[in-house]
Amino acid sequence: MLKLVGRLAALAVPLLSLGGLYFYALHKHEQREEFRHAAVTLTPNCIAKLGRYALTAGNEYESPYMLKRTGMRIALRGYSDEDVRAIERGCNIVDDTQGRLAQDPDLERWNARRFIRGAHANCDHCHRDLGDKQDAAGNRQKGTLHLGASWVMADMYDRFTGLLLPYELRQMQCYINASNGYKPNIADDVIRDVTAYTRFLSAALDMKIGNHYEEQGIDEINASETMKQGDDYIRGELLYKHKCQHCHGQQAIGQEVNGQLVAPALAGPNAWNSQSRNNFYFVSTVLAGFICRNMPPGQENSLDNQQCRDIAFYISNLPRPAGDKQGPLVAVQQQLLMRVMPPLLRLTESSASKKASERPLELGHAPLENGAKARLEDGE
Amino acid sequence: MNRTLAALAAIIGFLLWAHLASGVPVFDSQVESEPGWERFRVEYGINYFGEDGQFVRAVQNGYNLFFHTHKYATRFTRKRAGDGVNSCSGCHTAKELAYSFVNSDRFDPKFGRRLSFEDRVRWCYAASVDGFVPTVYDPAVRDVRLLARAVAHHLQLSEGALQHKD
Repeated sequence: MLKLVGRLAALAVPLLSLGGLYFYALHKHEQREEFRHAAVTLTPNCIAKLGRYALTAGNEYESPYMLKRTGMRIALRGYSDEDVRAIERGCNIVDDTQGRLAQDPDLERWNARRFIRGAHANCDHCHRDLGDKQDAAGNRQKGTLHLGASWVMADMYDRFTGLLLPYELRQMQCYINASNGYKPNIADDVIRDVTAYTRFLSAALDMKIGNHYEEQGIDEINASETMKQGDDYIRGELLYKHKCQHCHGQQAIGQEVNGQLVAPALAGPNAWNSQSRNNFYFVSTVLAGFICRNMPPGQENSLDNQQCRDIAFYISNLPRPAGDKQGPLVAVQQQLLMRVMPPLLRLTESSASKKASERPLELGHAPLENGAKARLEDGE
Repeated sequence: MNRTLAALAAIIGFLLWAHLASGVPVFDSQVESEPGWERFRVEYGINYFGEDGQFVRAVQNGYNLFFHTHKYATRFTRKRAGDGVNSCSGCHTAKELAYSFVNSDRFDPKFGRRLSFEDRVRWCYAASVDGFVPTVYDPAVRDVRLLARAVAHHLQLSEGALQHKD
Protein backbone atom coordinates (compact mmCIF):
# COMPACT_ATOMS: atom_id res chain seq x y z
CA MET A 1 0.00 0.00 0.00
CA LEU A 2 2.80 2.36 0.98
CA LYS A 3 4.60 1.47 -2.22
CA LEU A 4 1.54 2.38 -4.26
CA VAL A 5 1.19 5.72 -2.47
CA GLY A 6 4.86 6.39 -3.12
CA ARG A 7 4.47 5.62 -6.82
CA LEU A 8 1.38 7.80 -7.11
CA ALA A 9 3.18 10.63 -5.33
CA ALA A 10 6.17 10.26 -7.67
CA LEU A 11 3.77 10.62 -10.60
CA ALA A 12 1.62 13.36 -9.08
CA VAL A 13 4.41 15.75 -8.03
CA PRO A 14 5.88 16.36 -11.51
CA LEU A 15 2.38 16.44 -13.05
CA LEU A 16 1.20 19.01 -10.50
CA SER A 17 4.37 21.05 -10.99
CA LEU A 18 3.91 21.08 -14.77
CA GLY A 19 0.22 21.89 -14.36
CA GLY A 20 1.11 24.71 -11.98
CA LEU A 21 3.57 26.13 -14.49
CA TYR A 22 0.99 25.86 -17.25
CA PHE A 23 -1.64 27.75 -15.27
CA TYR A 24 0.93 30.33 -14.20
CA ALA A 25 1.79 30.89 -17.89
CA LEU A 26 -1.92 31.20 -18.70
CA HIS A 27 -2.32 33.76 -15.94
CA LYS A 28 0.63 35.76 -17.27
CA HIS A 29 -0.79 35.66 -20.80
CA GLU A 30 -4.15 36.91 -19.53
CA GLN A 31 -2.44 39.63 -17.56
CA ARG A 32 -0.61 40.78 -20.73
CA GLU A 33 -3.79 40.66 -22.78
CA GLU A 34 -5.61 42.76 -20.19
CA PHE A 35 -2.78 45.25 -20.22
CA ARG A 36 -2.91 45.49 -24.03
CA HIS A 37 -6.48 46.71 -23.65
CA ALA A 38 -5.81 49.10 -20.79
CA ALA A 39 -5.37 52.87 -21.20
CA VAL A 40 -1.74 53.96 -21.32
CA THR A 41 -0.25 56.47 -18.90
CA LEU A 42 2.19 58.45 -21.01
CA THR A 43 5.45 59.92 -19.78
CA PRO A 44 5.61 63.74 -19.94
CA ASN A 45 7.96 63.59 -22.94
CA CYS A 46 5.63 61.24 -24.80
CA ILE A 47 2.64 63.46 -24.06
CA ALA A 48 4.53 66.30 -25.74
CA LYS A 49 5.83 64.24 -28.67
CA LEU A 50 2.66 62.35 -29.56
CA GLY A 51 0.50 65.41 -28.87
CA ARG A 52 2.58 67.39 -31.33
CA TYR A 53 1.91 64.80 -34.01
CA ALA A 54 -1.79 64.62 -33.08
CA LEU A 55 -1.94 60.87 -32.57
CA THR A 56 -5.58 59.89 -32.13
CA ALA A 57 -7.69 56.97 -33.27
CA GLY A 58 -9.59 57.45 -36.51
CA ASN A 59 -10.04 56.26 -40.08
CA GLU A 60 -7.47 58.66 -41.49
CA TYR A 61 -4.37 60.28 -40.11
CA GLU A 62 -3.04 63.69 -41.14
CA SER A 63 0.25 64.90 -39.74
CA PRO A 64 0.16 68.48 -38.44
CA TYR A 65 3.95 68.55 -38.82
CA MET A 66 3.71 67.95 -42.57
CA LEU A 67 0.85 70.40 -42.90
CA LYS A 68 2.92 73.07 -41.21
CA ARG A 69 6.10 72.28 -43.16
CA THR A 70 4.65 71.78 -46.63
CA GLY A 71 1.18 73.26 -46.46
CA MET A 72 -0.12 69.95 -47.83
CA ARG A 73 -2.70 67.68 -46.26
CA ILE A 74 -1.41 64.13 -46.57
CA ALA A 75 -4.08 61.57 -45.74
CA LEU A 76 -2.70 58.29 -44.44
CA ARG A 77 -4.38 55.27 -42.97
CA GLY A 78 -5.72 56.02 -39.52
CA TYR A 79 -5.07 54.12 -36.34
CA SER A 80 -7.42 51.99 -34.29
CA ASP A 81 -7.55 52.29 -30.50
CA GLU A 82 -5.35 49.20 -30.21
CA ASP A 83 -2.78 50.69 -32.60
CA VAL A 84 -2.73 53.97 -30.68
CA ARG A 85 -2.10 52.16 -27.41
CA ALA A 86 0.75 50.15 -28.98
CA ILE A 87 2.36 53.37 -30.26
CA GLU A 88 1.95 55.01 -26.85
CA ARG A 89 3.49 52.04 -25.06
CA GLY A 90 6.36 52.04 -27.58
CA CYS A 91 7.00 55.72 -26.93
CA ASN A 92 7.05 55.07 -23.19
CA ILE A 93 9.60 52.29 -23.64
CA VAL A 94 11.88 54.52 -25.72
CA ASP A 95 11.60 57.35 -23.19
CA ASP A 96 11.74 55.29 -20.02
CA THR A 97 13.08 51.83 -20.80
CA GLN A 98 13.94 51.12 -17.17
CA GLY A 99 10.44 52.07 -16.01
CA ARG A 100 11.59 54.74 -13.56
CA LEU A 101 8.43 56.75 -14.25
CA ALA A 102 6.08 53.77 -14.23
CA GLN A 103 3.96 52.60 -11.32
CA ASP A 104 4.46 48.98 -12.35
CA PRO A 105 7.65 48.94 -14.48
CA ASP A 106 7.40 45.24 -15.25
CA LEU A 107 3.95 45.48 -16.76
CA GLU A 108 3.97 49.00 -18.13
CA ARG A 109 7.28 48.56 -19.96
CA TRP A 110 6.75 44.88 -20.77
CA ASN A 111 9.51 44.08 -18.34
CA ALA A 112 12.16 45.62 -20.62
CA ARG A 113 14.49 45.67 -17.62
CA ARG A 114 14.90 41.93 -17.83
CA PHE A 115 16.75 42.39 -21.13
CA ILE A 116 19.17 44.97 -19.69
CA ARG A 117 21.94 44.22 -17.19
CA GLY A 118 22.70 47.78 -16.06
CA ALA A 119 20.46 50.30 -14.35
CA HIS A 120 21.06 53.21 -16.72
CA ALA A 121 20.47 52.10 -20.33
CA ASN A 122 17.56 53.83 -22.03
CA CYS A 123 16.75 53.92 -25.77
CA ASP A 124 16.49 57.69 -25.57
CA HIS A 125 20.13 58.06 -24.51
CA CYS A 126 21.30 57.27 -28.03
CA HIS A 127 18.09 57.87 -30.01
CA ARG A 128 17.90 61.49 -28.97
CA ASP A 129 14.62 63.19 -28.06
CA LEU A 130 12.61 59.98 -28.29
CA GLY A 131 14.27 59.06 -31.55
CA ASP A 132 13.18 62.26 -33.25
CA LYS A 133 15.48 65.17 -32.51
CA GLN A 134 14.56 68.54 -33.99
CA ASP A 135 15.70 72.10 -33.48
CA ALA A 136 13.34 74.87 -32.37
CA ALA A 137 12.25 75.44 -35.98
CA GLY A 138 11.32 71.77 -36.39
CA ASN A 139 14.32 70.79 -38.54
CA ARG A 140 15.40 67.21 -37.96
CA GLN A 141 18.99 66.94 -36.82
CA LYS A 142 21.72 65.09 -38.71
CA GLY A 143 23.22 61.97 -37.14
CA THR A 144 20.78 61.71 -34.24
CA LEU A 145 19.80 58.05 -34.71
CA HIS A 146 16.31 59.00 -35.80
CA LEU A 147 14.02 56.02 -35.30
CA GLY A 148 11.60 56.87 -38.10
CA ALA A 149 14.44 57.28 -40.60
CA SER A 150 15.88 54.03 -39.35
CA TRP A 151 12.62 52.19 -40.04
CA VAL A 152 12.35 53.34 -43.65
CA MET A 153 15.94 52.22 -44.29
CA ALA A 154 15.73 48.95 -42.34
CA ASP A 155 16.34 45.42 -43.66
CA MET A 156 19.57 46.36 -45.43
CA TYR A 157 22.75 44.29 -45.33
CA ASP A 158 24.67 44.75 -42.09
CA ARG A 159 28.40 44.24 -42.35
CA PHE A 160 28.84 43.56 -38.63
CA THR A 161 26.47 40.63 -38.47
CA GLY A 162 26.69 39.55 -42.10
CA LEU A 163 22.90 39.56 -42.23
CA LEU A 164 20.13 41.33 -44.01
CA LEU A 165 19.15 42.84 -40.71
CA PRO A 166 15.43 43.31 -40.11
CA TYR A 167 14.40 46.18 -37.88
CA GLU A 168 13.33 43.79 -35.12
CA LEU A 169 16.72 42.06 -35.06
CA ARG A 170 18.44 45.43 -34.93
CA GLN A 171 16.48 46.18 -31.75
CA MET A 172 17.66 42.89 -30.32
CA GLN A 173 21.25 43.96 -31.00
CA CYS A 174 20.63 47.14 -29.03
CA TYR A 175 19.52 45.06 -26.06
CA ILE A 176 22.52 42.73 -26.33
CA ASN A 177 25.32 45.26 -26.86
CA ALA A 178 24.26 48.84 -26.26
CA SER A 179 22.33 47.76 -23.15
CA ASN A 180 24.70 44.91 -22.33
CA GLY A 181 21.79 42.54 -21.89
CA TYR A 182 19.78 39.79 -23.48
CA LYS A 183 17.70 39.57 -26.63
CA PRO A 184 13.93 39.59 -26.44
CA ASN A 185 11.88 37.34 -28.70
CA ILE A 186 11.06 38.89 -32.07
CA ALA A 187 7.33 38.71 -31.28
CA ASP A 188 7.66 40.15 -27.76
CA ASP A 189 5.51 43.23 -27.12
CA VAL A 190 8.61 45.12 -26.10
CA ILE A 191 9.89 44.83 -29.70
CA ARG A 192 6.55 45.18 -31.46
CA ASP A 193 5.46 48.29 -29.57
CA VAL A 194 8.71 50.08 -30.25
CA THR A 195 8.33 49.13 -33.93
CA ALA A 196 4.80 50.53 -33.88
CA TYR A 197 6.08 53.81 -32.42
CA THR A 198 8.90 54.14 -34.95
CA ARG A 199 6.56 53.39 -37.83
CA PHE A 200 4.25 56.10 -36.54
CA LEU A 201 7.16 58.56 -36.44
CA SER A 202 7.97 57.82 -40.07
CA ALA A 203 4.29 58.33 -40.97
CA ALA A 204 4.09 61.63 -39.07
CA LEU A 205 7.18 62.89 -40.90
CA ASP A 206 6.08 61.40 -44.25
CA MET A 207 9.33 59.50 -44.72
CA LYS A 208 9.44 57.35 -47.83
CA ILE A 209 10.40 53.69 -47.66
CA GLY A 210 13.99 53.04 -48.75
CA ASN A 211 15.01 56.71 -48.84
CA HIS A 212 18.05 57.86 -46.92
CA TYR A 213 17.60 60.77 -44.54
CA GLU A 214 20.49 62.62 -42.89
CA GLU A 215 19.10 62.10 -39.40
CA GLN A 216 19.29 58.32 -39.80
CA GLY A 217 22.01 56.60 -37.79
CA ILE A 218 25.29 58.20 -36.93
CA ASP A 219 27.19 60.80 -38.88
CA GLU A 220 30.33 58.70 -38.59
CA ILE A 221 33.70 60.41 -38.35
CA ASN A 222 36.67 58.78 -40.02
CA ALA A 223 40.28 59.64 -39.27
CA SER A 224 40.45 61.03 -42.81
CA GLU A 225 38.01 63.75 -41.74
CA THR A 226 40.51 65.11 -39.22
CA MET A 227 43.86 66.87 -39.47
CA LYS A 228 45.38 63.42 -38.86
CA GLN A 229 47.10 64.36 -35.64
CA GLY A 230 46.41 60.85 -34.46
CA ASP A 231 43.75 59.88 -31.93
CA ASP A 232 45.09 60.61 -28.49
CA TYR A 233 43.43 59.40 -25.31
CA ILE A 234 45.39 61.79 -23.10
CA ARG A 235 44.03 64.71 -25.09
CA GLY A 236 40.70 62.94 -24.90
CA GLU A 237 40.92 62.70 -21.12
CA LEU A 238 41.51 66.42 -20.78
CA LEU A 239 38.58 67.16 -23.09
CA TYR A 240 36.42 64.70 -21.19
CA LYS A 241 37.16 66.50 -17.93
CA HIS A 242 36.14 69.83 -19.41
CA LYS A 243 33.24 68.82 -21.58
CA CYS A 244 31.69 65.65 -20.21
CA GLN A 245 32.68 65.11 -16.60
CA HIS A 246 30.17 67.61 -15.20
CA CYS A 247 27.33 65.29 -16.15
CA HIS A 248 28.84 61.84 -16.62
CA GLY A 249 31.07 61.94 -13.55
CA GLN A 250 34.79 61.77 -12.98
CA GLN A 251 35.08 58.12 -13.97
CA ALA A 252 32.29 58.20 -16.54
CA ILE A 253 30.12 55.86 -14.52
CA GLY A 254 27.12 58.19 -14.77
CA GLN A 255 25.37 60.28 -12.18
CA GLU A 256 22.20 59.88 -10.21
CA VAL A 257 20.86 62.68 -8.05
CA ASN A 258 18.04 61.92 -5.61
CA GLY A 259 17.36 58.64 -7.37
CA GLN A 260 16.98 60.40 -10.73
CA LEU A 261 19.41 59.66 -13.53
CA VAL A 262 21.20 62.87 -14.52
CA ALA A 263 23.51 61.31 -17.10
CA PRO A 264 24.07 57.67 -18.07
CA ALA A 265 27.23 55.66 -17.55
CA LEU A 266 29.76 55.70 -20.37
CA ALA A 267 31.90 53.08 -18.62
CA GLY A 268 31.55 50.59 -15.82
CA PRO A 269 28.85 47.99 -15.23
CA ASN A 270 25.95 50.21 -16.35
CA ALA A 271 27.46 51.11 -19.70
CA TRP A 272 27.40 49.45 -23.13
CA ASN A 273 29.64 46.45 -23.55
CA SER A 274 32.86 46.27 -25.52
CA GLN A 275 31.18 44.62 -28.51
CA SER A 276 28.83 47.52 -28.94
CA ARG A 277 29.45 49.65 -32.02
CA ASN A 278 30.01 52.49 -29.55
CA ASN A 279 33.32 50.94 -28.59
CA PHE A 280 36.10 52.83 -30.36
CA TYR A 281 38.22 49.68 -30.60
CA PHE A 282 35.42 47.85 -32.41
CA VAL A 283 34.28 50.68 -34.73
CA SER A 284 36.23 53.88 -34.37
CA THR A 285 33.81 56.12 -36.23
CA VAL A 286 30.50 55.66 -34.41
CA LEU A 287 30.97 57.08 -30.91
CA ALA A 288 32.96 60.00 -32.31
CA GLY A 289 30.09 60.80 -34.68
CA PHE A 290 27.57 60.56 -31.89
CA ILE A 291 29.58 62.92 -29.68
CA CYS A 292 30.06 65.51 -32.42
CA ARG A 293 26.38 65.69 -33.37
CA ASN A 294 24.76 65.23 -29.97
CA MET A 295 27.08 66.29 -27.17
CA PRO A 296 27.28 68.21 -24.92
CA PRO A 297 23.52 68.84 -24.73
CA GLY A 298 22.81 72.41 -25.76
CA GLN A 299 26.24 72.74 -27.39
CA GLU A 300 25.86 70.17 -30.16
CA ASN A 301 28.23 70.46 -33.13
CA SER A 302 30.63 72.57 -31.05
CA LEU A 303 33.45 70.00 -30.96
CA ASP A 304 35.65 69.40 -33.98
CA ASN A 305 36.17 65.98 -35.52
CA GLN A 306 39.51 65.29 -33.87
CA GLN A 307 38.20 66.27 -30.44
CA CYS A 308 35.27 63.87 -30.83
CA ARG A 309 37.60 61.04 -31.82
CA ASP A 310 39.90 61.80 -28.88
CA ILE A 311 37.03 61.74 -26.38
CA ALA A 312 35.65 58.53 -27.90
CA PHE A 313 39.09 56.93 -27.70
CA TYR A 314 39.47 57.94 -24.05
CA ILE A 315 36.02 56.69 -23.08
CA SER A 316 36.63 53.36 -24.80
CA ASN A 317 39.78 52.88 -22.74
CA LEU A 318 37.74 52.81 -19.55
CA PRO A 319 36.66 49.41 -18.20
CA ARG A 320 33.26 48.12 -19.28
CA PRO A 321 31.50 44.75 -19.50
CA ALA A 322 32.81 42.26 -22.02
CA GLY A 323 30.73 41.49 -25.09
CA ASP A 324 28.68 38.32 -25.38
CA LYS A 325 31.16 36.71 -27.78
CA GLN A 326 34.38 37.60 -25.98
CA GLY A 327 34.59 34.62 -23.70
CA PRO A 328 34.98 34.15 -19.95
CA LEU A 329 38.59 35.33 -19.63
CA VAL A 330 37.86 38.77 -21.06
CA ALA A 331 34.69 38.91 -18.97
CA VAL A 332 36.64 38.20 -15.76
CA GLN A 333 39.32 40.71 -16.70
CA GLN A 334 36.74 43.44 -17.36
CA GLN A 335 34.80 42.63 -14.17
CA LEU A 336 38.02 42.88 -12.19
CA LEU A 337 38.93 46.20 -13.79
CA MET A 338 35.46 47.60 -13.17
CA ARG A 339 35.70 46.72 -9.50
CA VAL A 340 39.33 47.62 -8.82
CA MET A 341 39.78 50.73 -10.95
CA PRO A 342 37.12 53.06 -9.51
CA PRO A 343 38.33 53.03 -5.87
CA LEU A 344 41.96 53.25 -6.97
CA LEU A 345 41.27 56.13 -9.32
CA ARG A 346 39.19 57.86 -6.67
CA LEU A 347 42.22 57.84 -4.42
CA THR A 348 44.76 58.96 -6.98
CA GLU A 349 42.69 61.32 -9.09
CA SER A 350 40.94 63.42 -6.51
CA SER A 351 43.77 65.92 -6.25
CA ALA A 352 45.04 65.58 -9.82
CA SER A 353 41.66 66.14 -11.43
CA LYS A 354 41.07 69.21 -9.29
CA LYS A 355 44.19 70.76 -10.76
CA ALA A 356 43.26 69.67 -14.30
CA SER A 357 39.78 71.16 -14.17
CA GLU A 358 41.19 74.42 -12.88
CA ARG A 359 43.60 74.56 -15.83
CA PRO A 360 42.14 76.35 -18.88
CA LEU A 361 41.54 74.09 -21.87
CA GLU A 362 44.07 74.77 -24.60
CA LEU A 363 42.20 73.16 -27.45
CA GLY A 364 40.17 76.04 -28.69
CA HIS A 365 37.00 75.57 -26.64
CA ALA A 366 35.97 77.10 -23.38
CA PRO A 367 35.20 74.69 -20.52
CA LEU A 368 31.61 74.26 -19.41
CA GLU A 369 30.49 76.65 -16.76
CA ASN A 370 31.08 75.43 -13.25
CA GLY A 371 27.40 75.99 -12.56
CA ALA A 372 26.28 73.35 -15.10
CA LYS A 373 26.26 70.49 -12.64
CA ALA A 374 24.55 72.55 -9.97
CA ARG A 375 21.78 73.42 -12.44
CA LEU A 376 21.34 69.78 -13.33
CA GLU A 377 21.09 68.89 -9.68
CA ASP A 378 18.44 71.54 -9.30
CA GLY A 379 16.49 69.72 -11.99
CA GLU A 380 16.73 72.43 -14.63
CA MET B 1 49.15 8.66 -43.51
CA ASN B 2 47.57 7.64 -46.79
CA ARG B 3 44.15 7.50 -45.13
CA THR B 4 44.61 11.00 -43.72
CA LEU B 5 45.57 12.36 -47.11
CA ALA B 6 42.63 10.59 -48.73
CA ALA B 7 40.22 12.02 -46.15
CA LEU B 8 41.67 15.50 -46.66
CA ALA B 9 41.37 15.18 -50.42
CA ALA B 10 37.77 13.99 -50.04
CA ILE B 11 36.88 16.98 -47.87
CA ILE B 12 38.53 19.45 -50.24
CA GLY B 13 36.90 17.74 -53.20
CA PHE B 14 33.50 17.93 -51.52
CA LEU B 15 33.94 21.62 -50.72
CA LEU B 16 34.97 22.44 -54.28
CA TRP B 17 32.09 20.44 -55.70
CA ALA B 18 29.58 21.94 -53.25
CA HIS B 19 30.55 25.53 -53.96
CA LEU B 20 31.39 25.36 -57.65
CA ALA B 21 29.43 22.56 -59.21
CA SER B 22 26.60 21.30 -57.02
CA GLY B 23 24.12 24.08 -57.69
CA VAL B 24 22.66 23.54 -54.19
CA PRO B 25 21.37 26.98 -53.10
CA VAL B 26 22.82 26.79 -49.59
CA PHE B 27 26.35 26.69 -51.04
CA ASP B 28 25.73 29.31 -53.67
CA SER B 29 24.00 32.59 -52.96
CA GLN B 30 23.27 33.24 -56.65
CA VAL B 31 19.56 33.36 -57.28
CA GLU B 32 18.10 31.72 -60.34
CA SER B 33 16.80 34.25 -62.84
CA GLU B 34 13.21 33.49 -63.71
CA PRO B 35 11.42 34.84 -66.79
CA GLY B 36 10.19 38.36 -66.19
CA TRP B 37 12.80 39.26 -63.55
CA GLU B 38 14.83 41.56 -65.80
CA ARG B 39 11.68 43.43 -66.84
CA PHE B 40 10.56 43.61 -63.20
CA ARG B 41 13.87 45.00 -62.00
CA VAL B 42 13.72 47.77 -64.61
CA GLU B 43 10.02 48.46 -64.05
CA TYR B 44 10.45 48.77 -60.26
CA GLY B 45 13.88 50.40 -60.26
CA ILE B 46 15.58 47.65 -58.27
CA ASN B 47 18.96 48.90 -59.53
CA TYR B 48 18.61 51.76 -57.03
CA PHE B 49 19.87 49.19 -54.49
CA GLY B 50 22.73 48.10 -56.76
CA GLU B 51 23.10 45.82 -59.76
CA ASP B 52 23.90 42.95 -57.45
CA GLY B 53 24.33 42.53 -53.70
CA GLN B 54 22.84 40.80 -50.69
CA PHE B 55 19.73 42.97 -50.69
CA VAL B 56 19.17 42.69 -54.46
CA ARG B 57 19.58 38.92 -54.37
CA ALA B 58 17.08 38.72 -51.53
CA VAL B 59 14.66 40.87 -53.54
CA GLN B 60 15.17 38.56 -56.52
CA ASN B 61 14.49 35.57 -54.31
CA GLY B 62 11.39 37.40 -53.09
CA TYR B 63 10.37 37.85 -56.72
CA ASN B 64 10.81 34.11 -57.33
CA LEU B 65 8.83 33.28 -54.21
CA PHE B 66 6.07 35.69 -55.11
CA PHE B 67 5.65 34.76 -58.78
CA HIS B 68 6.76 31.12 -58.68
CA THR B 69 5.74 30.04 -55.18
CA HIS B 70 5.18 26.41 -56.13
CA LYS B 71 8.78 26.16 -57.33
CA TYR B 72 10.64 28.17 -54.66
CA ALA B 73 8.61 27.53 -51.51
CA THR B 74 8.06 23.82 -51.96
CA ARG B 75 8.38 23.26 -48.22
CA PHE B 76 5.53 25.63 -47.49
CA THR B 77 2.95 24.88 -50.16
CA ARG B 78 1.23 21.82 -51.53
CA LYS B 79 0.50 23.61 -54.80
CA ARG B 80 2.19 22.27 -57.91
CA ALA B 81 2.87 23.64 -61.39
CA GLY B 82 -0.39 22.25 -62.74
CA ASP B 83 -2.59 23.92 -60.13
CA GLY B 84 -4.57 26.99 -61.10
CA VAL B 85 -3.55 29.47 -58.40
CA ASN B 86 -0.12 28.28 -57.34
CA SER B 87 1.66 31.49 -56.43
CA CYS B 88 1.19 34.66 -54.41
CA SER B 89 0.81 36.55 -57.69
CA GLY B 90 -2.34 34.52 -58.37
CA CYS B 91 -4.13 36.76 -55.83
CA HIS B 92 -1.92 39.85 -55.40
CA THR B 93 0.07 42.27 -57.54
CA ALA B 94 3.52 43.53 -56.51
CA LYS B 95 1.98 46.96 -55.99
CA GLU B 96 -0.64 45.55 -53.62
CA LEU B 97 2.13 43.78 -51.74
CA ALA B 98 3.93 47.08 -51.21
CA TYR B 99 0.78 48.81 -49.96
CA SER B 100 0.14 45.88 -47.67
CA PHE B 101 3.65 46.26 -46.26
CA VAL B 102 3.27 49.94 -45.38
CA ASN B 103 -0.11 49.22 -43.81
CA SER B 104 0.99 46.24 -41.77
CA ASP B 105 1.50 45.93 -38.01
CA ARG B 106 -2.05 47.12 -37.42
CA PHE B 107 -4.88 45.73 -35.37
CA ASP B 108 -7.04 43.23 -37.25
CA PRO B 109 -10.53 42.86 -35.76
CA LYS B 110 -10.91 39.49 -37.48
CA PHE B 111 -8.04 38.02 -35.49
CA GLY B 112 -8.45 40.27 -32.46
CA ARG B 113 -4.78 41.23 -32.44
CA ARG B 114 -2.18 43.27 -34.25
CA LEU B 115 -0.77 41.49 -37.29
CA SER B 116 2.66 42.08 -38.74
CA PHE B 117 3.46 41.75 -42.45
CA GLU B 118 5.21 38.48 -41.64
CA ASP B 119 2.09 37.18 -39.90
CA ARG B 120 0.12 37.87 -43.09
CA VAL B 121 2.67 36.12 -45.31
CA ARG B 122 2.72 33.10 -43.02
CA TRP B 123 -1.06 33.04 -43.05
CA CYS B 124 -1.01 33.02 -46.87
CA TYR B 125 1.37 30.04 -46.89
CA ALA B 126 -0.90 28.13 -44.54
CA ALA B 127 -4.28 29.03 -46.04
CA SER B 128 -4.12 30.45 -49.57
CA VAL B 129 -1.47 28.14 -51.00
CA ASP B 130 -2.57 25.22 -48.88
CA GLY B 131 0.71 24.61 -47.11
CA PHE B 132 2.68 25.03 -43.91
CA VAL B 133 3.80 27.95 -41.75
CA PRO B 134 7.43 29.08 -42.04
CA THR B 135 9.18 30.72 -39.11
CA VAL B 136 9.43 34.52 -39.07
CA TYR B 137 13.15 34.30 -39.81
CA ASP B 138 12.79 32.05 -42.85
CA PRO B 139 13.95 33.57 -46.15
CA ALA B 140 10.58 32.47 -47.55
CA VAL B 141 9.06 35.19 -45.36
CA ARG B 142 11.92 37.67 -45.09
CA ASP B 143 12.54 37.93 -48.84
CA VAL B 144 8.87 38.63 -49.56
CA ARG B 145 9.13 41.54 -47.11
CA LEU B 146 12.27 42.77 -48.88
CA LEU B 147 10.50 42.53 -52.23
CA ALA B 148 7.63 44.58 -50.79
CA ARG B 149 10.12 47.10 -49.40
CA ALA B 150 11.87 47.49 -52.77
CA VAL B 151 8.56 48.02 -54.59
CA ALA B 152 7.39 50.44 -51.87
CA HIS B 153 10.58 52.42 -52.39
CA HIS B 154 9.98 52.61 -56.13
CA LEU B 155 6.41 53.80 -55.53
CA GLN B 156 7.74 56.23 -52.89
CA LEU B 157 5.25 55.07 -50.32
CA SER B 158 5.29 56.25 -46.75
CA GLU B 159 3.82 54.47 -43.74
CA GLY B 160 0.07 54.13 -43.97
CA ALA B 161 -0.11 55.20 -47.65
CA LEU B 162 -3.59 54.61 -49.00
CA GLN B 163 -4.04 52.77 -52.27
CA HIS B 164 -6.55 54.56 -54.44
CA LYS B 165 -8.44 52.49 -56.96
CA ASP B 166 -7.43 53.44 -60.50
